[in-house]
Amino acid sequence: MSLSRDIVIEVKEVSKSYATGGREVEVLRNISFAAGREFVAVLGPSGCGKSTLLRIIAGVEKPSRGEVVFHLDGKPSIGFVFQFPTLLPWLTVEENVLLPLMARGMSKKEALGNAYRALKIVGLYEFRDFYPNELSGGMRQRVNLARAIAVNPDILLMDEPFSNLDPLTAENLRSEILDIWLSSLLPIKTIIMVTHNVEEAVLMSDKIVVLSPRPATVVRIIENTLPRPRSRKASEVQELVDKVYEYVS
Amino acid sequence: MLTAEVAWELLASTGLSLARMVASYIISFVVAVFTGVAMAKNKYVEAVMLPLLDVLQSIPILGFLPAALVVFVRVLGPAVGAELSAVFLLFTSLVWNMIFGVYTSVKSLESSVDDLARVYRLPLLHRYMYIYLPASRNSVIANSIVSWAGGWFFLTSAEVLSIGKTEYSLRGLGSFIIKTYAQGDQTAYVAGLTMLFAVILLSYLLLWNPVAMKYTQTKALVGFTRVYEELEKAVSRIRGLIWERLSSAYSVIRRKKGRLAVAILFPIILDVASLNNIDLSTTSWLSGSWIYIEEFLVNLPLTALRVYGVMAAGLALTIILAYISHMMPRLSKAIVMLGEVLSSIPAMMWWPILLPALGGFPTGIMFFIYMQGSIWYVFFNTIIFGLTRVTRELDELSEIYGVRGRLYITKIFIPSIMPSIVAGSISSSGGAWNASIVAEHIRLGELNIDVGGVGSLLSRYAEMGDMYGVVLTSLLMSVTIVVINKLLWARLVRKIGGTYVIE
Ligand SMILES: Nc1ncnc2c1ncn2[C@@H]1O[C@H](COP(=O)(O)OP(=O)(O)O)[C@@H](O)[C@H]1O
Ligand SMILES: [Mg+2]
Repeated sequence: MSLSRDIVIEVKEVSKSYATGGREVEVLRNISFAAGREFVAVLGPSGCGKSTLLRIIAGVEKPSRGEVVFHLDGKPSIGFVFQFPTLLPWLTVEENVLLPLMARGMSKKEALGNAYRALKIVGLYEFRDFYPNELSGGMRQRVNLARAIAVNPDILLMDEPFSNLDPLTAENLRSEILDIWLSSLLPIKTIIMVTHNVEEAVLMSDKIVVLSPRPATVVRIIENTLPRPRSRKASEVQELVDKVYEYVS
Repeated sequence: MLTAEVAWELLASTGLSLARMVASYIISFVVAVFTGVAMAKNKYVEAVMLPLLDVLQSIPILGFLPAALVVFVRVLGPAVGAELSAVFLLFTSLVWNMIFGVYTSVKSLESSVDDLARVYRLPLLHRYMYIYLPASRNSVIANSIVSWAGGWFFLTSAEVLSIGKTEYSLRGLGSFIIKTYAQGDQTAYVAGLTMLFAVILLSYLLLWNPVAMKYTQTKALVGFTRVYEELEKAVSRIRGLIWERLSSAYSVIRRKKGRLAVAILFPIILDVASLNNIDLSTTSWLSGSWIYIEEFLVNLPLTALRVYGVMAAGLALTIILAYISHMMPRLSKAIVMLGEVLSSIPAMMWWPILLPALGGFPTGIMFFIYMQGSIWYVFFNTIIFGLTRVTRELDELSEIYGVRGRLYITKIFIPSIMPSIVAGSISSSGGAWNASIVAEHIRLGELNIDVGGVGSLLSRYAEMGDMYGVVLTSLLMSVTIVVINKLLWARLVRKIGGTYVIE
């Protein structure tokens, strides 16, 4: 799966500082890495600036220095899985997924087609008329995912998508996302997932970018070529987990 | 007996007043949404508008009168101008709390919702339709109920515009009642009052209460949902159409921003240019200002005492009524319905209504009108929305542990409704200040009562045609209110808010 030579996203010497209360807080320092057609995990401790980096890649936040370059024809289509589901409580599941599609000026029919397909992929098609507060935490996170894949993204960005779920639900959702990714059901070229969970990074990704505590710098970039499907208990997985732990601490 | 002529006049007047109220409400709604969102989303707009709104919402309706007369009547002539002035004056008594409602709702949206809008590049129109409007829905409904009442409360002040000898009396229910009372036409006067009650009652039963019942958890309202449901169905049938038009209009606007700005600015520039022709020589300038300031300072303590006395009494009364409503839910509906009607009766009308009973006791009537101007902000907030915070769980908890009587009231009940009381109390003090102009002074037909105070000062300036006095005293009053709010209320509110807000 790892065709890294074919670069899709380049993060070039990105730095970010916030001015809060008169003081300058440096969050990101000189972050550089490239992502090909692969699953990249960005690993770092809480509060180091992972979300900030992901928001810069999404174009929602401007870097203080440096740039993010996309090697794609035209504007990249981006799907974003928020850390908290961020569903609008006054819209049904279906309407929440439809919103970004309508915003692009897609016809209602085409938009509905996309939304239904995405909802079927995450297994929530039957719940399309429910309101967010009628769903469990895991289901809401699935809607969040459905909304992201419904836009037919070139790039899927995920901000700690499993950190607010119970372990069992998290495990299920992890394997579902891997299934979607590996089956090439969707035209997603690159996934960048932010996480503070070492094991999760090793089990899911093709490349791990390890960040230091704030201000975040790139400590190490690890190519993860372990054969899939990967099992937690496999010794080579354990070895890599141990190795990555050393860089993190 | 009512002659056919008078009956027809009454109907026409009612229609016109209702149309004015609806027009002002719609304008207020639109202004509230755009201003509230702009304040919540842009920190420069927020920094400018917050203090400005504080001042504006404390200016009594009379304070806007000269501005309205100058801008509308002198520029556009009495026919169109007086009508626009009335709508503008009603607008000034509806809009401020609605702006704050939208502002706080949008402001309290999580920041990830902004990210959502940006990541998926939602156009502005979609942000309004799917995020800002629905997010402010409940608070707009809650504020609309109070604003609607506030509009009626000042109806007569908006329909009978008078400064000195200049008087523009608009055809309308407010002026109808005033006129028939002054002429001593008992039948017509009573018919007018009855009509007023009926219109107010129906507007709540058929529209506001059903809306609030549908979208909030309140159990304290009575309403007939049938009519509203039909209305909503009709609206949703044409909504698709409106939505299409809006979308295409929006894309045109996006393309032709520049030209549109000119089209909007042009009339404004014309207006301002024509203002130069206004004769200002009658007004006394700075040299004379000191007299006004002195008068203001002399009268200030009188009004301040009344305002805060009335507020304290209003808070106590609200808590008692809230407790009764909570204990006897059946009664709560009657209490709120009564409140909705009472709160809407134009201030000036309380004088003729109460005079037969309280003729020898004008101070009593004064306090009553003060109460009218202030209590409702706290009342509606607390009884319609605050009581939903006294949840079944809290009551069950109290029952299980035997928390009753005073302990229940002080430890469970009051703390639960406290956030709503606090939320309503700033508006409530502003309302009391503004009510002073109608509470402290009345001149209507034979009636001529004055109990002193800043409000009476303002009313007297207006009667003498002293525009400068009206504007200066209004500004002094509003600045005083803002200072008192900042020094006293804000601190109190922060303290209470910090202790009582659960979650
Ligand atoms: N808009 C902002 N203004 C000021 N500081 C911010 C802002 N956004 C994030 N930060 C700061 O940047 C640091 C990194 O935040 P974040 O990217 O959310 O970390 P992570 O996702 O790794 O937990 C935090 O210390 C946070 O306080
Ligand atoms: Mg984060």
